[in-house]
Amino acid sequence: MLDLFPSRQAGLFGRRHKRERGAKIPVTVLTGFLGSGKTTLLQRFLASPEGQGTAVIINEFGAVGIDDALVRDSTEETVLLGNGCVCCITRTDLQAALRRLVFDRERGTVAPFRRIVIETSGLADPGPILQTFSTDRALGGEFHVDVVLAVVDAINGEAELDSAAEARKQIILADRLVISKIDLAEPAAIGRLTRRLQALNPRATIDSAIKGVLDPQRVIEPAAGERSGFIAEAEHSDGIGSFVIAQDAPIEWLAFARAMETLIGLRGGDLLRVKGMLNVAGGRGPVVVQYVQHLAHPPVELEAWPDGNRSSRVVFITRNVAERDVRALFATVQALAKS
Amino acid sequence: MAATDKSPISAGYQPVTWNFKLLAHDMLAGFGGMGEGMSVQIAPDGRRIIWLAHESAPKNFTAVDVSDPRKPKVICQTDLPHANMRSNSLESCGNMMAVAYQTSKKDLQPAGFELFDISKPENPKSISFFDCSGPHSRGVHQLWFCDGEYVHCASGSRDFTPTHPQDDQFYRCVDVRNPSKPVEVGRWWMPGTRQGDNVMPPARHPLDKGFRAHNTNVYPQRPDRCYLAYIDGGMFVLDISDKRNPKKISQWTNSPPYTGFMHTIVPLFDRGLMLVTDESTENNAKDWPKLIWVLDAREETNLVPISTCPLPDHTVYAKAGRFGAHNIHENVPLPTAWQNDQIVLGTFFNGGLRAYDISNPYQPKEVGVFMPPAPPGAPTGTIQMNDVFVDERAIVYAVDRHIGGLYILEMDF
Repeated sequence: MLDLFPSRQAGLFGRRHKRERGAKIPVTVLTGFLGSGKTTLLQRFLASPEGQGTAVIINEFGAVGIDDALVRDSTEETVLLGNGCVCCITRTDLQAALRRLVFDRERGTVAPFRRIVIETSGLADPGPILQTFSTDRALGGEFHVDVVLAVVDAINGEAELDSAAEARKQIILADRLVISKIDLAEPAAIGRLTRRLQALNPRATIDSAIKGVLDPQRVIEPAAGERSGFIAEAEHSDGIGSFVIAQDAPIEWLAFARAMETLIGLRGGDLLRVKGMLNVAGGRGPVVVQYVQHLAHPPVELEAWPDGNRSSRVVFITRNVAERDVRALFATVQALAKS
Repeated sequence: MAATDKSPISAGYQPVTWNFKLLAHDMLAGFGGMGEGMSVQIAPDGRRIIWLAHESAPKNFTAVDVSDPRKPKVICQTDLPHANMRSNSLESCGNMMAVAYQTSKKDLQPAGFELFDISKPENPKSISFFDCSGPHSRGVHQLWFCDGEYVHCASGSRDFTPTHPQDDQFYRCVDVRNPSKPVEVGRWWMPGTRQGDNVMPPARHPLDKGFRAHNTNVYPQRPDRCYLAYIDGGMFVLDISDKRNPKKISQWTNSPPYTGFMHTIVPLFDRGLMLVTDESTENNAKDWPKLIWVLDAREETNLVPISTCPLPDHTVYAKAGRFGAHNIHENVPLPTAWQNDQIVLGTFFNGGLRAYDISNPYQPKEVGVFMPPAPPGAPTGTIQMNDVFVDERAIVYAVDRHIGGLYILEMDF
């Protein structure tokens, strides 16, 4: 549209946003292994002023039972909670549930909710949930995942990380980690678990909670702040690794986009999550990019950089994709684009 | 945390604050029924003052110090001479302000506009009064005053006899370069609306709100154009390169089949777009849909509607007061006004304040809503958001038509 109706105020990709989610509905994905304390944390959050106006989606995959007192009395798919919140259980189709919530909000048949919290089942891999927001064009236009929060049980967490690949993946894909039940565990065990979590996901900050008490802001704050260090370079079990590619000089958008297209074409299935901010040549604010496997979110240019650091930085969480190969690909494509 | 399917949140109409932050709310000393005149002045002492026209008597205008938008302070509130008139519209330019006066019946005084020296905001001083009264005139409904030289207004006149009593206000351009002696330099009316015209009067619309002028916007990007809304007559682009002799360039109307009352035209010059608003004037959404229209205006002689800003299901809003479009932020060409061609902010009476992203003008997208609870004493039991202005700091000011006064907000998208 910018060709037909140009605007000097527009950015490289349309209206420049004040923040990454723009005007979309913010989503918190609350993950964590069975019994880790997700529901307790969620109940505490919903009872707080910050929790007001939250739509909760309990994403129950397969035969896993719902342990959620919030909805145990309900036979309805969607129930209204106190505090202006709404809750629905989706057994199969998260997309349908999200669409229905937006539709009902437009019609005024549910509360004018301000955010969504998706509580995943304990055995869920959060990857497909993140993909949902990329695969569905309509949903991608309405929702934005602000933060993936993983809850880890201080007592059983280590054992679960040893035994369950899903538990490890939940940690690796999270933006923020919460160690629950710290009042019940030995300090030494908490220390070991903390080191393990840091090794699995050096990008994420780690909070702790007793009986679900956590600063409600930490449930909803966008995750961008967590990435300030950008020092993550870790090799995990299951062939999953993470690394950061950073560059001080402005990046030509075309070169970056072509490199990502190539990478996706060759190894898209192994790009579990790619997210970052780019200093794009010709841009005014940072350009936020995000990919989940084969799918790219539309890039968004922000009005301003969040801090003094103007370098481009992209975090890759991949499966069996070597950092050196990705670096080489980007270097080659950029060199070709200049020549 | 038990499920409560009888919760009042299941009722359709509810206050919403979505992607706006409310910084302050001021009931304006109990006189919070506000019109459609909002203008920001930086006073000589550096204070930021917003001037607000009242929708109806007894008050004329109110000045609010909004230097700190979280702590607004009413510093001046003036009275009208009598109850059968309203100010409704005003504009400030530097330390001068023009205020419209419209009487409830024809041939009453004062009907016209008054110029004030507002260099001391606590004590505005009248400079002059431009009389527009007459046997067929109610005076001035709306005015535009942004260059310090000309007032463009929707006005009647002593020498203007309309073919229909509703069609009394037309476009007038008044030279105020000598502010103590304003002088009319030109005028234009829709052919057929003045007795003696050599064309037939226009066919009336069912709601019959009049073929008369409303907003009369003129911008420095095209000082030779007036973007004139003409209520039931649609809208006109006028060539005012010769102010003494305005000429029609083009007209666009949506009515019929829509129900008339075109209100405001805002050209987005860089983009070749034009925003056009209707005004809802009937309670309980009887005149629904009243919309903000986006026009492809690359060719000013052939305006093409390409989209409207989407409204929620009107059935929820059709129960109390008006619902539908009215005023939008107009990119008033002053240093104290926000200039933007990506976002449209509009007031929709009980639909509150709504913001739209028009970066893709074919698909405007709602990005913010502010529908506060009904202010205390609201006669309709709902907010009736009437006008909006955004200052150059991107602080949003919105006013209620009946009682709620001034809401000050930040955009959060």
